Amino acid sequence: MRNSRIKRPIVGKLLLYIGIPLLIVYSVILILNYFWSKDNALQQMKDYLVELTAHHASDLNADFAKIAEIPQLLAEFYVSVDQPSRPELEKILTNLIEVNSYISGLTLAFEPYSYERNTRLVAPYVYKKDGQIIVSDMAANGDYTCADWYSIPALLRKPYWSEPYYQQSSEPILMCSYSVPICQNGNMIGIATANISLQDIKRRMVDINIMNGYTFLISRYGTYIYHPNEKDVMKETVFSKAVKYNLPVMRELGRDMVLGKRAVKAFPDPITGYRQMIVYTPIRANGWTLSAVMPERAILSTVYALIVKQLGLMVVGLFVIILIMIWAAYSITNPLRKLVKMTEKLATGDLNVQMENIKGRDEIHELAMVFNKMVIDLKHYINDLTAATKEKEAVESELRIARHIQESLIPRIFPPFPHRKEFALFARCIPAKEVAGDFYDFFFLDEDNLVVVIADVSGKGVSASLFMAVTKTLIKAKSNEFSQPHKILENVNIELCRDNDSAMFVTTFLAVFNAKTGAFTYCNAGHNPPYLLRPDGKISQLENTAGMALGVWEDCQYSCREIKLQKNEIIYLYTDGVNEAMSEENEEFSYARMEAFLSEIREETPRQITEKSLQTVKEYTGAAEQSDDITILVLKNLL
Amino acid sequence: MKKNLILVIFILLAITLPAQENNAVKFELHWFPQAQFAGYIMAAEKGFYVDAGLNVALYFSDGSDSPLQKLADREIDFCTAWLSQTIALRSAGMKIVNTCQILQKSSLLLMAKKESGITSPQDLNGRRIGLWSGDFSIQPKAFFNKYDIECQEVRQSYNIHGFLADAWEVASAMRYNEYYKIILSGIDEDELVTFSYADYDLNFPEDGIYTCQTTWQQQPEICGKICSASLKGWEYAFQNEEEALQIILKYCDEYKMQTNYAAQKWMLEVIEESIKYQCGDDPESWGKLKIEDYNRVTGILLDQKIISSVPDFADFYRGEK
Repeated sequence: MRNSRIKRPIVGKLLLYIGIPLLIVYSVILILNYFWSKDNALQQMKDYLVELTAHHASDLNADFAKIAEIPQLLAEFYVSVDQPSRPELEKILTNLIEVNSYISGLTLAFEPYSYERNTRLVAPYVYKKDGQIIVSDMAANGDYTCADWYSIPALLRKPYWSEPYYQQSSEPILMCSYSVPICQNGNMIGIATANISLQDIKRRMVDINIMNGYTFLISRYGTYIYHPNEKDVMKETVFSKAVKYNLPVMRELGRDMVLGKRAVKAFPDPITGYRQMIVYTPIRANGWTLSAVMPERAILSTVYALIVKQLGLMVVGLFVIILIMIWAAYSITNPLRKLVKMTEKLATGDLNVQMENIKGRDEIHELAMVFNKMVIDLKHYINDLTAATKEKEAVESELRIARHIQESLIPRIFPPFPHRKEFALFARCIPAKEVAGDFYDFFFLDEDNLVVVIADVSGKGVSASLFMAVTKTLIKAKSNEFSQPHKILENVNIELCRDNDSAMFVTTFLAVFNAKTGAFTYCNAGHNPPYLLRPDGKISQLENTAGMALGVWEDCQYSCREIKLQKNEIIYLYTDGVNEAMSEENEEFSYARMEAFLSEIREETPRQITEKSLQTVKEYTGAAEQSDDITILVLKNLL
Repeated sequence: MKKNLILVIFILLAITLPAQENNAVKFELHWFPQAQFAGYIMAAEKGFYVDAGLNVALYFSDGSDSPLQKLADREIDFCTAWLSQTIALRSAGMKIVNTCQILQKSSLLLMAKKESGITSPQDLNGRRIGLWSGDFSIQPKAFFNKYDIECQEVRQSYNIHGFLADAWEVASAMRYNEYYKIILSGIDEDELVTFSYADYDLNFPEDGIYTCQTTWQQQPEICGKICSASLKGWEYAFQNEEEALQIILKYCDEYKMQTNYAAQKWMLEVIEESIKYQCGDDPESWGKLKIEDYNRVTGILLDQKIISSVPDFADFYRGEK
């Protein structure tokens, strides 16, 4: 099934990048082939028509030349002998007409009174009629001297081929004559004329077979002597048809023809308008023109048929190629489709997928192999990751337990001593990691003296928390032995310094607050100096005492100081997680900001002060990760 | 044999009209059917003669005998003929009258190939010029006299082959016929130079409708109807040229004429020009013989001593004034 996300499938691209260029190339080849074939076919047609007309024109020319010999011979003969008598002339003409079967009539026509002084016109005429040779005199038909066959050669003093004419008989026969002037001593004394029937020529023209074409014969003045359309013969000329069909080009062709030119031209068929090729060749003997006409369509139809076949082959070929392309595309996309499905399965977490039955040794096969390896690797990785995660989860679980334990180590119930009205106390420890290195503690040494501790172990995490637990336990233990803060811390320090291979230390502030008197005795072992907040808003840091952080130097001596807390005076204990809290811009919260905040404190309870502090710090740090444990303990003297 | 060529067309009026012996008319045209006679043929074909109450039979002459003689012999009732010929016959005593002068302008001309170097009438001097005999020779003679031309006159056959073959350097031609045959033989008009007699103050109106004087006197109405129906035929032919040409070609085929569409179309156009010459397009003004034309023709006939006296115009011309 087609994936709707795939907008341009590979099969489409194959068709676009291969199929269409192939189609274009095929089409160009086909078009070029058409033009080449067309030119070739037309050239062949032209060569054929040129040869055909030249051949037949040559034959006709030879025939007319042969016919012309007879009157020529007759004219020469007449002047070379003593004037023959009329019967002698008739006999000569009869003999000639018997011997030359293609002659249908022979005349020796004389100028008025030149043959016989007393007879104006003498013209012995021998002709064939119904197979018989008949002897007569042309003068019997009237004055022949103004007939074309006589007057024109007589005036021109040169032989003359007459225009064709119909000899009237039961069936009009198309004839023409060749007339030769008979000249004696520079005088024209008569005309020797041979008449021929054009029936034979017509038959020969009919026999010229041109595929879908035709031939025609025109006289030297463009009159159709032979045309397949019988109605045109002796009625139409090339020029009258040019007028009839309004084809000036036809007149141009006709002009060429009557001028005895030989050419190959194209011109539209007068009726259909289709282009046709015309080849015309002059018949030199009598100035006639033989033309052959062939519609280009006739010859081009074979080209069209060839092109149609090629087009068919092209379509079939393209169809086969498209099928192959589709098959090729699917042979590529099918494994890819499988791969997509497998990948989708893989994405859902099924690591048991494998590409199977991938044939061939191509890139797709390689991809499938790599995919399979990837799945196996992924499976191994996931297994490893699962194990690691489990392990981490176990550690985290343990850390959570550790945190609970640590949290249980420090007092978390507030108010811690609800029955004691002399003071109020609140504390919070927010570890940066699962477990904190900070801690606070408070407990009564006796009825009135409350021990208050805040400490910060170097480092963070589990090791720091363990060190804190040790420190806290030691403080509590030593508090049972000593009541003065510096003593407690001195002893705790000694204990911590022993076997402190990890070189950890803890800054500690420990004070003993007498709830009845308000005395506040404290020892600061390297811890940030707490603040004394007075109800009037004045704040001050508690003066430091001698000694350094616990766990550093076993022999370190500590001292203590005592102050007396007045009513509503507050001791604000904190770890460096407060003043060193980092903003998003990597800037510390600083003592200045802390003091500014603390100077605003007036009537608030320790809980309110603590929570407000934490909120102020939180607001300051924003999205920045908490970098250190934050611990605050606030003690307020209420007496 | 030629006599057999006189072919007759009977317009079958009997079917459409009650037989009217008195209105049966024999009308002979002086040559084979062609566009020169388009008006009469169309009048017959389109029933204009019938509409006029005439039972007209059209005849076409083959030139072997004279329709005018037949008219005089009362073999026919009407015929067409040239004005110069009829004036000569009237002058010689034949009682024929002109009832309608159809062609106003002479189509007769002389033509030469430009390559001969002939450009003006004077250039005709010494040239071999083909001339027809009879009435066709009157205008040439007047022309030669007018321009003092001495040339070798050759009797010309009724075709143009001698001209095409250069046997005659100059040939006679009717503008509506032989002249265009030359064009249809492949010679362009601009290769020819022509001298149309009408352009040299030798305009001889040609075809007119004639009848004998007694017919005119006895049946003047029929004479008028023949003329008006004929003119109506001409009007129809000019307005429906293609139809007229097809009908004419059909007639030509029947008479085995060696002609064609282009030639007949040209002929009809030239004839139209001749009929409307100095008359205009209004058919009402067609068909009238003008006295100045009559005087011109008779003057030349007198000059050439073809006639010795001029017939009275009013006696000769009985058509509409």
